Amino acid sequence: MARALCANCKAERAVIKRPKNHAKLCKVCFIQVFEDEVHHTITSSKLFYPGEKVAIGASGGKDSTVLASVLKTLNERHGYGLDLVLLSIDEGIKGYRDDSLDTVKRNAVQYNMPLKIVGYDELYGWTMDQVVETIGKKGNCTYCGVFRRQALDRGAKMLGIKHVVTGHNADDVAETVLMNLLRGDLARLSRSTSIVTGDSRSEVKRSKPLKYSYEKEIVLYAHHKKLDYFSTECIYSPEAFRGSARALVKQLERVRPTAILDIVRSGEDVARLVPGEEPSSCACSGQKGAAGLVDDDVGGCGSQNGRTPGGEMAAMDKQLRDNEASEGLEIDVVKTMVEGNAARGEKRDLPIRAGNTSKGAPRQVLGNCKRCGYMSSQEICQACMLLEGLNKNRAKIQI
Amino acid sequence: MTESKPGQVALTRPCVKCRAQEATLDSRSQPVCKDCFIKFISTKFIKQIDILGKKTRPAPGPSSTSSSSGPPTLTRRYLLGLSFGVSSTVLLHLLSENLESQLAKGRTAPFDLTVVHVDTSSFPSREGTDPEASVAAVEAILDRYRARYPRFTFQRVPLSSSTLSNNNNNNNNSTPNPSDDIFSLLSSSTTTTPPTAASQSDLRQHLTRRTLLAETAHHNCQALLLGHSTTALAELTLAEAAKGRGFALPWLVGDGPAPPPDSSSEPRESGLLIHHPLREALRKELVTYAGLVTDPSPLTDLLLEQTNDNPGSAEGTTRVVSHRDLSIEDVMTRYFAEVEESYPSVVANVARTAGKLVRRGGDGGDEEAATACELCGMPRDEDGDVRWKGELGIQDNGEEEGDRESVAARLRGRLCYGCERSVGG
Ligand SMILES: [Zn+2]
Ligand SMILES: [Zn+2]
Ligand SMILES: [Zn+2]
Ligand SMILES: [Zn+2]
Repeated sequence: MARALCANCKAERAVIKRPKNHAKLCKVCFIQVFEDEVHHTITSSKLFYPGEKVAIGASGGKDSTVLASVLKTLNERHGYGLDLVLLSIDEGIKGYRDDSLDTVKRNAVQYNMPLKIVGYDELYGWTMDQVVETIGKKGNCTYCGVFRRQALDRGAKMLGIKHVVTGHNADDVAETVLMNLLRGDLARLSRSTSIVTGDSRSEVKRSKPLKYSYEKEIVLYAHHKKLDYFSTECIYSPEAFRGSARALVKQLERVRPTAILDIVRSGEDVARLVPGEEPSSCACSGQKGAAGLVDDDVGGCGSQNGRTPGGEMAAMDKQLRDNEASEGLEIDVVKTMVEGNAARGEKRDLPIRAGNTSKGAPRQVLGNCKRCGYMSSQEICQACMLLEGLNKNRAKIQI
Repeated sequence: MTESKPGQVALTRPCVKCRAQEATLDSRSQPVCKDCFIKFISTKFIKQIDILGKKTRPAPGPSSTSSSSGPPTLTRRYLLGLSFGVSSTVLLHLLSENLESQLAKGRTAPFDLTVVHVDTSSFPSREGTDPEASVAAVEAILDRYRARYPRFTFQRVPLSSSTLSNNNNNNNNSTPNPSDDIFSLLSSSTTTTPPTAASQSDLRQHLTRRTLLAETAHHNCQALLLGHSTTALAELTLAEAAKGRGFALPWLVGDGPAPPPDSSSEPRESGLLIHHPLREALRKELVTYAGLVTDPSPLTDLLLEQTNDNPGSAEGTTRVVSHRDLSIEDVMTRYFAEVEESYPSVVANVARTAGKLVRRGGDGGDEEAATACELCGMPRDEDGDVRWKGELGIQDNGEEEGDRESVAARLRGRLCYGCERSVGG
């Protein structure tokens, strides 16, 4: 078994068993196949156009480092004609980003790519340290999470770039699919499965070229290409639903390695079954209503600092229970009404599932934030709301 | 389980529903008494069976006798899939209670029930097992059910290629039935690499469902009843998603018409229904319920000898085995046993959400009917297949070895994504 030859070139000894399909490959062929698959994804989804300026959301972690390396390689090999820029976000937490930003700075030299580091202070007028000073440790993760969600887009806008690529991989997408099934959030599920988010209405388009790449293969790629990356990406633990979904994906992968891609496939298919979505399987029409709200951020700190583990799930469980209680009342009311009508001899169709028709999956109506122009389902986006509160606080302190 | 008598004695923890008895149980974080709990479960059941009853209303007497086509359906006819697990056994018991109470009131029976157990013991055939002995074992269990519920008929149906091919031979064309291939693949001892536990479990589950549907049609029943609890439906949702069967989810998890048979066969006059009357009860509640039923004898007596390959049972949560022997279903059962314990409403929400998905690929809609997968019978997602292969750049690689490869090659383009996955390994 160990002496097996590479299934691809049949000349070199296989050193890699692909986690995805157990194909045994030599190092050179693995790197080639990995790159070819990303290239295929890029071309079949028509992710780029020649001359496009593209920002790579770079955290110094393995995913974004591999993404930068692969894009550089493919851009040169296939003549995409892309103008690639590394874009990093500095939350302004003293000490926290030092190592990862150092990594990104080295990457910029290694890949000969311009690097732009944008701070929360530039984007929002507040560093996270300042936020913590003002509002205390409790609840600051809400701020960090909301700010981070927009940071790449706002940063790209500052640079005049309309396309940001992120290092989300197949494991991340699978995790998001299961998480949203668990949360019962079909709207978000259908948004998170598309390779491109943001349509003509949003100023910045986001895409994930590594959507079909296994995390394990990304690690292997980084290892065999001897890439320079920073290995601990986030100090915060994920929120309960994501954490739970992540653990589940890992278990499923152990039982059946193809499960990760199978979940991605299911996610794409289920997205087309969400009430109100277009039945078409064309990737572009699926974008309608998928505008810009990139809230499938991974490795972000939408965390549970100051909350008990599982708090998210417990809160949802409670809310659902309350809903059930009120729904029960509603059904009773309808039933008595119908029975009343029947008693009066009126003929009516029995609404068997009272209340259900009006309570389909809520469709968010997306517009733009009146203040910053970012896609938002509210008049004022979450970030601007938080900033308003912070700025009032600052004014008070200054007085 | 000792109940205090309703009466003057001050109750230490009164039942929140009746206030008359001591609460001995926890129901959705409320203390309740045994009687109220039993009522709670049967109310949930009756609500669902009433919904089904309205959909399957028998034709009015005088006019139907004059029409000559088909047997007169004066009574609703249901078929129950009995796995011998807790959920389907509880469902059987509730159906029986429902029937008895109607008869006791001097009414006619609300439905006829045929109970079918699909015997999967020879799928795949295991070496060293005596087929006759396992048939006898299943019949012995069925006899206990027959003795307890004499008004219903019980039948054992083996999971085999013949029972499957019987049902889709409307226009028996030259293409061989794919289930023949699957059976030869799974039962062949010469197979170089046997399918994984995950693939076996997946195929067994879908073929069982198909067999039950075939039996439902065969027995002229209007609806197939399945015992899935809320928890089982949540497991099913995530398990099918994890097996790449997302497209079929609304057909598998929702109540309503069964997927139409493949487009080549005759359009069905009246579609079969699939219903899950226990969809609003948690598995742990059904386990509790089974423990409470003592009339005429403890319901748990029936559950003593459960078969282990029983996806509907609460078993399997404690076994410790290598992940190579685990199925996707096993992983989900373990996972949801934990979630159900702490967050029951989250479990319920998963099933409810999946129920909101739009059924595509069926007939009767505004779209063209899709072709059905020749193995599981679910509509195939041909658009999705094309796009998926495009995005991933899948060329059919000859990596599978031996028998499996040839079967996979023969079936290519006739199976859904999920079945292709399981047949491939
Ligand atoms: Zn090679
Ligand atoms: Zn805003
Ligand atoms: Zn009570
Ligand atoms: Zn199939």
